[in-house]
Amino acid sequence: MAYVATRGGERAIEQSERLFRAELGRIDAARVAQVRQALPYLVDRVMGEASLYDEDLAALAMAQTGGDLYEAVLVLRAWRTTQPRLAVAAPVEQGQLFTHRRISAAFKDIPGGQVLGPTLDYSHRVLATDVLSGGAVDPVPVAPAARAAPAQYPSVSAWQAANDLADLPAPDGVTGEAIPDLTREPLLFPARRAHTLQSLARAETGGVLALGYAAMRGYGQAHPTVNELRLAEAEIVVAHPDGTEFSAGRVKVSQAEVVSKKGDKLTLGFAATLGWNEVKCIAAATLDLNSAGAPKGSATEEEFFLYHTEGVEASGFCIHFKLPHYVTFQSSLDAMRDAAARRSARSPQQEPAE
Amino acid sequence: MTLADLARPWAAMSYGFLDASAKRELRRKMIKAVCVPGCQMPYASREVPMARGWGTGGLQVSLTLINPRTRVKVIDQGADDSVNAASIRRFLARVSGAPVTLDTLEADLIQSRHRVPEEILRSDQVLVLQVPNPEPLRPVQPNMSIARQMHADADYGRMWLQLYEQIVRSGRVMQGASYPSMVNGRHVMTPSPIPRWDVPKLHMARHLTILSAGREKRIFAVPPFTRVEPLVFDDVPYRVEDHGGLTCARSGARGVFMNEIPQSDGGSAHEVSDSEWGVKTIRHRDGEAVRMGETWYRDGRFVAPRPGPDPGPRSVRTDADPDPVPGGGAP
Repeated sequence: MAYVATRGGERAIEQSERLFRAELGRIDAARVAQVRQALPYLVDRVMGEASLYDEDLAALAMAQTGGDLYEAVLVLRAWRTTQPRLAVAAPVEQGQLFTHRRISAAFKDIPGGQVLGPTLDYSHRVLATDVLSGGAVDPVPVAPAARAAPAQYPSVSAWQAANDLADLPAPDGVTGEAIPDLTREPLLFPARRAHTLQSLARAETGGVLALGYAAMRGYGQAHPTVNELRLAEAEIVVAHPDGTEFSAGRVKVSQAEVVSKKGDKLTLGFAATLGWNEVKCIAAATLDLNSAGAPKGSATEEEFFLYHTEGVEASGFCIHFKLPHYVTFQSSLDAMRDAAARRSARSPQQEPAE
Repeated sequence: MTLADLARPWAAMSYGFLDASAKRELRRKMIKAVCVPGCQMPYASREVPMARGWGTGGLQVSLTLINPRTRVKVIDQGADDSVNAASIRRFLARVSGAPVTLDTLEADLIQSRHRVPEEILRSDQVLVLQVPNPEPLRPVQPNMSIARQMHADADYGRMWLQLYEQIVRSGRVMQGASYPSMVNGRHVMTPSPIPRWDVPKLHMARHLTILSAGREKRIFAVPPFTRVEPLVFDDVPYRVEDHGGLTCARSGARGVFMNEIPQSDGGSAHEVSDSEWGVKTIRHRDGEAVRMGETWYRDGRFVAPRPGPDPGPRSVRTDADPDPVPGGGAP
């Protein structure tokens, strides 16, 4: 009887996984293509949190996990971590980005102009219930502008720096393999700037929003103004071993720069991520803006928000509480019962004498 | 120059899942951890195909140490058949081709969540403990950078204060599992949430213990023959769980750590926590030839391992066949 029990676990986990997969049905290239096509913003979000830019892999991860995003990101990260690093891309300046959308809340107009680009910001959020009764939503064609917008725009903070309104951070000359890499080194505090930005870039969107929102509501010292928000594509320029530089393609990126108006100059907060994810970038930039001098243990302190917005770690730890804990539980019960026994043995003597 | 010159032949997965650079980092950090016993070494901690908090730290160590001849045992809360132990064992075997075993005596590498086996480990065995929270100071200092500084200063006053407060409030130390312990007289570590019953097994042990927290990205170690001393006051001795007198309802085994199984009549039955020890006891009872190793506890009392060579397996010992060796005193 004992032998069967010893191997019971293996059968159980196999069957429970089958049960999950049976619900999802067959997963093939067609389904992956559907996910990729139908849910580009979700694909972007997953690519950002996985810190792996590949729309097909992200769509595959979502298809095979049934859209459990924590699982999808974990699958991608586990795949990513084993891949060889072939090259390090050249740094990209803001002015070089192929920009689709770029707005500033700080000025009515900015050099290069406000470019709305694709957004739901001004849409009326009405559910298209007609679709369920046989109708369809066919996108209305976009009317082309009389004059094509430029592809590239200068950064707003460069103008502010030129006008002595803000100090830009000193340029970081570190290049290539010497760039600190969060996925190859532990995160220690005070964190290196590269680690902070990398950690925010792959942070879980909901977690960043929760803590960023707390900062915005007043648990942070600085109230953000969106200096510049961009949705863009960045050219991945790498060097061939023979020295030739070439573009390996473009990746979608989003970035937000927020400023605080306290003090005699503007202070900057910044965040960027792979894929288009505006909420995450604004919230993350707000955390970055508030982190300098934040009290230890507050939600805007770097150690606090970097640890707690790491979605793979947070979700993994959360679900680990499903694992059996009966040994630790037993150990505590032992101490508890003994303490109770001592208390009851002692209590008569503690009654006040009458 | 061609691409083929620059890269190795493509393979879907590296041997043992982790790539060479990840294994190199882990080896370096393990060596550092062995050199400074009990001191937490930060490491990058890669994502593995298992959720954080489910043994990813232990898994990375196992994946680094494993080779096709390593015989692996995986335990969760004492049991080899626990679902997560089964999952980890299956994964290790799948990516390394290593043979697996349930028998503590046969294992070269034992990855365990929250238990040290009841049979004494030998100098050729490595115990890898999964660690949810590597920081013993967390209850008194949640900020990791401040806690790191406190370790550097050997500033453990608040740990002592916490134990003292428990004694004042409850009449005894209330710490259940994860009993904070001083390693090699210098660093306080958490032994991971093993019960207090298991902490003495790490003290001056023959085997190497590596403790690894994947989510928290810290690795630490107890090398062979290293002191591991639970934090206790001179006048309040360390107490393991009061399990020495319990009997396993299924196997009849006694004097080992037990699981309490609530019964519908309002009472409790007990079952051996180390599942393989229970299986061996049953098989012996049924008349099979079983190799049963020396155990750390005899007649419910901890016996410090004798100096000298590794103990060989003793024939058999169960409740029905009491060991003639007199039990030693408590540690």
